[in-house]
Amino acid sequence: MKTLSLSIISASLLAAMASVSTPATATDMKLKHDSEYVIDGKIYGLPEAKVYREEYNGPAVVGNYLTSVPHLAELDYEGNKTHDVRMDVFSQQVEVAPGVSYSAWTFGGSVPGPVLHVREGDRVIFKMKNRSDEEVVITKPVKNGSPFFQQIQDNPYQNNQPVINPMPHSMDFHSGTVAAEDKWRTISPGETIEFEWIANYAGTYMYHCGTSSVLMHTAMGQYGAVVVSPKDGYPTDKDVDHEYVLVQSEHYLEEAAEGNYIYNHGAALDRQPSHVTFNGHVAALSDNPLRANEGDRVRLHVLNAGPSGTSSFHVIGAIFDRVWYEGDPRNEWYGMQTVLLGASNSATIDFIVPEEGIYKLVDHEFADAERGAAGALIAGPRKEK
Amino acid sequence: MVKWLGVAGVLFSPLVLADPVLINGGPFEPPVLLDKERLSIEVDSFMLDATPVTNQAYLEFVHENPRWQRDNIAALFHDGNYLKHWRGNTAIAEDRENEPVTYVSWFAAREYCAAQGGRLPSLNEWEYASVQYRQQQNISDNDYARKLFAWYSQPHTSKQQTVDPNADQLMHMHDRVNEWVNDYQLLLSNGDDVDLLSGSCGDGARFMSSFTNANYATFFRYQSRSDYAPQSATSTMGFRCAYDLENDHE
Repeated sequence: MKTLSLSIISASLLAAMASVSTPATATDMKLKHDSEYVIDGKIYGLPEAKVYREEYNGPAVVGNYLTSVPHLAELDYEGNKTHDVRMDVFSQQVEVAPGVSYSAWTFGGSVPGPVLHVREGDRVIFKMKNRSDEEVVITKPVKNGSPFFQQIQDNPYQNNQPVINPMPHSMDFHSGTVAAEDKWRTISPGETIEFEWIANYAGTYMYHCGTSSVLMHTAMGQYGAVVVSPKDGYPTDKDVDHEYVLVQSEHYLEEAAEGNYIYNHGAALDRQPSHVTFNGHVAALSDNPLRANEGDRVRLHVLNAGPSGTSSFHVIGAIFDRVWYEGDPRNEWYGMQTVLLGASNSATIDFIVPEEGIYKLVDHEFADAERGAAGALIAGPRKEK
Repeated sequence: MVKWLGVAGVLFSPLVLADPVLINGGPFEPPVLLDKERLSIEVDSFMLDATPVTNQAYLEFVHENPRWQRDNIAALFHDGNYLKHWRGNTAIAEDRENEPVTYVSWFAAREYCAAQGGRLPSLNEWEYASVQYRQQQNISDNDYARKLFAWYSQPHTSKQQTVDPNADQLMHMHDRVNEWVNDYQLLLSNGDDVDLLSGSCGDGARFMSSFTNANYATFFRYQSRSDYAPQSATSTMGFRCAYDLENDHE
């Protein structure tokens, strides 16, 4: 009898311990390095970045969940995953408006750079080589590259051409929580940096070069978006028909020679952009509009990369059914006409396409729309669901 | 006369090295305040090469100093790209003799200058000369800033424009290569302490004597060069040498 009660007690104790420790155990399993620790289910204390030299001439963008704007990779896995991601930094001639090309500083060769999609709690092992002193071609098929390349090649609206312009660069992921002077440190041409970060918070985050002058480096084209999908999703996930990424930014260019534009630092300091674009070209979303059908629920992840301006994002003819500011599902708003985004703010936006037709996407600060911050979504006829 | 010139003249008579230019010293208000407690500094007179060192001049150096040839340089002193645009250990591409030499590390640049009886200029000496150059050439502050940012934002491939090796005045301070200086690694301080942010997050105004486009452009030159490693050898980094005046009296 005594034995039985003891075993019952110990069994219930064990069960109690198990139930208490279950979440911790699940989290502990994700810890990889001795330095790591957990607060509120989020992992901190990642190991120091490594900087080294490597012979590497392979694809400049590696990872299955890296796409070119406006595409977003599907997360075809359950739970959490460790992503091996490479995004090399190098120069590239890109077009931002008809007849307006400049020698951009880029991540991956486009402006904005590739979109990375992960899930809240995922680990990213990130590598970046500074290849700014070599020519890197992104418009030819590459083996073992990310889906980004195929999408650029299918729709090369920036007419990306390799150029050489050596410059120290760095990578700052707003989606990571780390000591910046370590992970976001600057590397010289020829160097590679490798570090890890955990997608602790859901949302759509900017990444950019943080090397001085940070104004010049970002204005030269070094930014992009990371979409961290919430681990439990957004409430409307199952009803979403289309999902796109849109990055707004300003360009400060002046003509140096026929068709050859250069950065105008005075204009950048004065916040007088020559162009404001969605996805890096004044015609990115009018030559190749987003597509949907009447009655669809469309989700946009909108990031305003700045570097210095705001965006009052609006879709003409629609009302935002739900808005998750910064993409965090807890920051839920309803029924908005316009979302105001400061530099490096984002929002995840759902809207219903009311009728067949053309829906213009604009920065409702019309001085910006006039400079190029406009695009379109074309809706076909209603489909039976 | 300066010892190095004599040596060079005897051994390499085909190469006529232009005399370096005298930079008269004086008080200097640095456009970028490396130490915020020192708004003005005194620069001593010195000599400075009129132009960046050319491929041809560097070729003579590696002929004379084989351990600084491409295949022989110690791994410690470069990043693997040292003189990568040359055709061989002692061969430069055709028509490139009078282009500024690039793909040279800070170590190599220092060694070259030492072999000429000189040294790399200090950051303050170089910037002091740059201000004199702007005055001599009558370059307005805005034009200077524009040109400098244009140079940084344009692709400068390994094919550089030439310089006049016989120039008798300061030339090409801002439009050919970014130049190594001896103390190129920027250390911004607050009195005895290293500054916490050091202009790394767009906080450059704190380090400028006045927040002008010209000073911002200068600050950008300081900062972008400061981020290189002393081993870095790139298509846009070159150098010129400075010489102490007392050599004249030897």
